[in-house]
Amino acid sequence: MQRRRRAAESDLDLTGRLMEDMDPDLLHFLRTKVNSFVKWDLVRFFHENPHTTDTAENVARYAGRNVETIREELAELAEDGVLERNKLGDMVIYSLSSSPEVRKLLSQFVEASADREFRVKAIYHIVREAR
Amino acid sequence: MERVKTGIPGLDEMLSGGFLPQTANLVEGAPGTGKTTLGMQFIHHGIAACGEPGLILTFEQFPQQYYNDAARFGWDFRQMEEEGKLRVIMTSPEVTSADLEQVGGRIESLVKETGAKRILVDSLSHFERLDDDPARLRQITYAFINGLKREGLTAVLTRESHALLGEADQQEDKFAFLVDSYILLRYVEIESAVRKAILILKMRGSNHDKGIYQVEVTSRGIEVRSPFEGQEGIMSGSPRRMVDSFVEAFVRH
Repeated sequence: MQRRRRAAESDLDLTGRLMEDMDPDLLHFLRTKVNSFVKWDLVRFFHENPHTTDTAENVARYAGRNVETIREELAELAEDGVLERNKLGDMVIYSLSSSPEVRKLLSQFVEASADREFRVKAIYHIVREAR
Repeated sequence: MERVKTGIPGLDEMLSGGFLPQTANLVEGAPGTGKTTLGMQFIHHGIAACGEPGLILTFEQFPQQYYNDAARFGWDFRQMEEEGKLRVIMTSPEVTSADLEQVGGRIESLVKETGAKRILVDSLSHFERLDDDPARLRQITYAFINGLKREGLTAVLTRESHALLGEADQQEDKFAFLVDSYILLRYVEIESAVRKAILILKMRGSNHDKGIYQVEVTSRGIEVRSPFEGQEGIMSGSPRRMVDSFVEAFVRH
């Protein structure tokens, strides 16, 4: 029991150490918005295709994912303000938030993701959150 | 009459100066014949030479693909996007069609934001999956084309042809009635070499060149070269020398 608690504490320490030199805004973005690999894929997709406005079915097709897998994640990203969710006729469509702040943060996140060290930290964080 | 120049050497001459403004112009051809390049060149020329911003509406390829393809010809589409003169929009036919039917939609906003005058739709073939009923499909496509015209855009719409060589089947004519001009790009086999041919099948409200010309994709983009001469059956994909046909018809019998 004690050993397990010590392991958990050590795990937290490691996470803390890994995250402490991360940009606070990016860390917040990662913790609160991009807390799954599917979301990571989706935000990268919308960053690379900033003018895309489409249904969950089509976004799934473009992103090479199953629509059932991404439907909930798209909705959460919209709730969190990363995406915009609108009705178009009888369709629900998603597009990247028009907020310059969100776009800037997303841009920083995607650029930072090009760095292996950042990716490792981000992956570690997501895996930990998923437990 | 005012013309919207494509900037493609030889094509503007075939079109009697260029497309008519606010028209829908279909470019059909097999994969690799240069449909998308023709469309990109039309967009690039508008921005670089005529001060007319443009939109690229893609239903299949990612914007990155257009940046890369354009760069091969020395066209910096990414820079043009950064300058607000171009928008490459990846979307679907169903969303675009619905969007064009509402006031203040995405396309309308982008046209206002960029001042776009030209659009490349790549490709119209994707509309075919929207409805199995030909009449309904025609209605949807007609509404889409009218929506583009309403926004004041001159459009190049590409369309895949399934026939690599030879004449396309009759099914492929279903969009031809909806557009203002209809350009065909075809592979033709002449003396054991495959070349590309261009032909303007129709141009509503304007005269146009009826000849079949050779076309080449160079490092500068598409260039229309000399007409095919002394041959017939070019669009069948396997032309014959006219003298052979004459001999067959009149001498051998």
